[in-house]
Amino acid sequence: MKFAHLADCHIGSWRDPKLRESSTKAFVKAVEKIKEENVDFVLLSGDLFNTSHPPVDSLRIVVAKLKELKDSSIPVYIVAGSHDFSPSGKTMLDVLESAGFVVNVARGKVEENRLYLNFTVDKKTNAKITGMIGKKGGLEKSYYESLVRAPLEKEAGYKIFMFHTALTELKPKELEKMDSAPVSFLPKGFDYYAGGHVHIVDKKSLEGYKAIVFPGPLFPNSFSEIEKLQNGGFYIVEDDAIRYEPIVVNPVFSINIDCSSKNPEEVELEIMKGVKNKEFLNTIVTIRLFGQLKTGRPSDINFKEVFRKFYGKGAFFVMKNSNKLTSREFEEVKVDTGSVDDIEEKLIAENSGQSGMFDPEKERRMIKELMHALSAEKNEGENSADFEKRLRESMNKILE
Amino acid sequence: MVKGIVITGQFGRIVVREKSGKKIELGELLVADTKEGKILLQVFNLIYGSQISPQNLELISGMKLEEEVDFDFADAKLRNYILAELKNLVVINKNSARTAKELPSFFSEVRDVSKDDLSFLTKPKNPLFVGNLRSGSREIDLPIYLKGDDVFSHHILIPATTGRGKSNLTSCMLWDTLDKDYCGILVLDPHDEYYGRNKLGLKDHPSRGKAVYYTPKNAPPGARTLKINLNQITPTHFRGVVDWSDAQREALNAYYRKYREGWIKAVVLDKEVDGFQEGTLAVLKRRIFQLLDIESDGSSVICRGVFDMTAGETTIRDIVSELEQSKTVIVDTSNFDGRVEILIGSIIATSILGRYKQYKVSGQLDSKPVISIILEEAPRVLGKEVLEKGRNIFGVIAKEGRKFKVGLTAITQLPSLIPRDILANMNTKIILGLEMKPERQAIIESASQDLSDDDRNIASLDKGEALITSNFARFATPVKIPLFEEFALKAAKKETANDFSGIKL
Repeated sequence: MKFAHLADCHIGSWRDPKLRESSTKAFVKAVEKIKEENVDFVLLSGDLFNTSHPPVDSLRIVVAKLKELKDSSIPVYIVAGSHDFSPSGKTMLDVLESAGFVVNVARGKVEENRLYLNFTVDKKTNAKITGMIGKKGGLEKSYYESLVRAPLEKEAGYKIFMFHTALTELKPKELEKMDSAPVSFLPKGFDYYAGGHVHIVDKKSLEGYKAIVFPGPLFPNSFSEIEKLQNGGFYIVEDDAIRYEPIVVNPVFSINIDCSSKNPEEVELEIMKGVKNKEFLNTIVTIRLFGQLKTGRPSDINFKEVFRKFYGKGAFFVMKNSNKLTSREFEEVKVDTGSVDDIEEKLIAENSGQSGMFDPEKERRMIKELMHALSAEKNEGENSADFEKRLRESMNKILE
Repeated sequence: MVKGIVITGQFGRIVVREKSGKKIELGELLVADTKEGKILLQVFNLIYGSQISPQNLELISGMKLEEEVDFDFADAKLRNYILAELKNLVVINKNSARTAKELPSFFSEVRDVSKDDLSFLTKPKNPLFVGNLRSGSREIDLPIYLKGDDVFSHHILIPATTGRGKSNLTSCMLWDTLDKDYCGILVLDPHDEYYGRNKLGLKDHPSRGKAVYYTPKNAPPGARTLKINLNQITPTHFRGVVDWSDAQREALNAYYRKYREGWIKAVVLDKEVDGFQEGTLAVLKRRIFQLLDIESDGSSVICRGVFDMTAGETTIRDIVSELEQSKTVIVDTSNFDGRVEILIGSIIATSILGRYKQYKVSGQLDSKPVISIILEEAPRVLGKEVLEKGRNIFGVIAKEGRKFKVGLTAITQLPSLIPRDILANMNTKIILGLEMKPERQAIIESASQDLSDDDRNIASLDKGEALITSNFARFATPVKIPLFEEFALKAAKKETANDFSGIKL
């Protein structure tokens, strides 16, 4: 048995068209590699797309590649992730499944508010696959609480559980604040736990859980991920041997400078010092600056000129992060530079329960679901009335 | 209902003659009405009284025993009776109470206390339910609440002999506080009893989402597998856990200075550290192997238990954050030997105190919930012998934790092993039955209220009965603690319906 395990492709995530294109290219390269490896099937553990209704240009390429896999008799098994899930249940993943390009394995039945998941059996290998969706803010936890595990654990054969959730016990230090669920939520005794959601590359085992694997993103999704991961990738599993397959679309060159005791001109020189005789063909360049400038302000650094020089050397994309760069003149101005998710989480936590209509935990859950529902964008070709109807349906479902 | 009449005595020892047939009990609360209000009294001793001289009583009893003569006293109720010794608790005036400084009038009637007499016992802002008021063995339908945030930060001691209901009391307190936002509670649970893995417990609470359960093995769904990353441990965590020799302690510190987070790995893999004999390092390594349940294959660390090289990087920070969110964190330590339990507690407690100290500096402490650490068999870390070997984090918290809103709830059968200054720092004591005189004495001498006459009262406490002495109570309050199963079942969880959107049904 040989299969590929991908997650967190986040097709359509980058705002910048060049990086968005790279992200899609990573998917294209991954599919080519998968075909070349001649795997029996593909697991995609959530967040194929960055939204439930991805832009048409990216979608076109993804569909073409999924069709190639179908034509090569390589089935693709998926679960929805926190980004491509929709409370209304209407997502592009459903369209892809209806067209026969993917099989959603998060399926089952509900009896007396208990969830019974069914296995999807891969015809070629008899691998038994099931899984759980991921929802924004870790809200899938309530599904796990209702999950009946015994039948899943008793089932014989080679079993795979797909999920899109960070696991508390295995979280790395830098993801401390990420919503997570305990490993015990997963049914025990599976041969492979195909994880997604956590943008790290990791494979671990715990008692009762043989191989818990996170392939990380197929293409880095943020400045810090580009710095840390450089590139994305996926796993190929062949008879229990697990091999990471990196997908390099653009090489990455990262510059990290402590600007303390430097003025803006010195910072510019420092940035360019180590790169004078280098070429940056097709390279993504990241520049991270931190510390307190001796004189001047961050805006005095001529980034335009710095960027121009890198582009002159063939760079594909140049990006900077100066969140932690301060000046003496504005020392007293401090901004908490957590991620958008962190700030959202903090604000919701601070304010939930104030309405007095629901208990704070329920209100927190509803706020997150409403925010997710309201972040939906109008689809191409969708008229305003249909868009409004879709939003209303999503929101009604949450508020029921 | 009149139960007797004041006949003599002095302040703190008022003697009442019991009305015949109105059984007065040890610990019973009685009220003497005065012109200014009511004086609340409590029985601390019962003795026989008789109008017949002792010689005559002895003679009559001899005739009854030896000659089987059937004697009856004329006016028996008048001639033989019970005398009760009472102490003044408070003077009640409408809805307020003040410390008693006067005696009830000579020949005052004393009567049963009623719920209406005690309207000054109101529910505070952040209530901690500790049981219903008790008068002798009679339970009064009046819930007793302490001001939870104050009580927890100023430490609680629960002294009791085995079988007197320590676990039941702790279960009730945990159940009561779970849905409250004023406190986070860490429970080091050596009997794995509070979460309710196989019985009723916090997992069945309507706010069960606030109960976080860590267990090393077979975590039930929703529980966390306890894993602590070795990088999180520092040499200071071993204080009070392991008796290192001076050389071993210095070697530990030297490793930590040189290898920082990776110091345990360095010890295990025999990495270089200067100035120590091979023998010292070998013993150090062996003791760390035993304690942390790890070993080495020469090139890497093999972890078999809770302590891990890869997993559990965020466990300690997660636990502290959960406590900060006023959750109750239960760590199942039933599979560990005592030293490992204390080590884990020590790592978490150090982190809690550290974080709360930072909050104090940054001015955020007021908005944070108080954190209490429940410690069973407290003398293991707070005992005189242990503390004489050097301060550990629990000793530090006992002495200065309240400044940082971190408190201990110490449970023990042997309070006398805890130094007097620490006992005195435990400002609330929930005393269950204590059979041994030295243990009662240790409690009486360090109580917040004068319990010098309560030795018999404490000795006679039955299962589920408690006497609460606290800086935050008006008087040493007798309570009856409810049976946990009955208390919890009234409000056990109700299932909420899921919509399961996103699952193909």
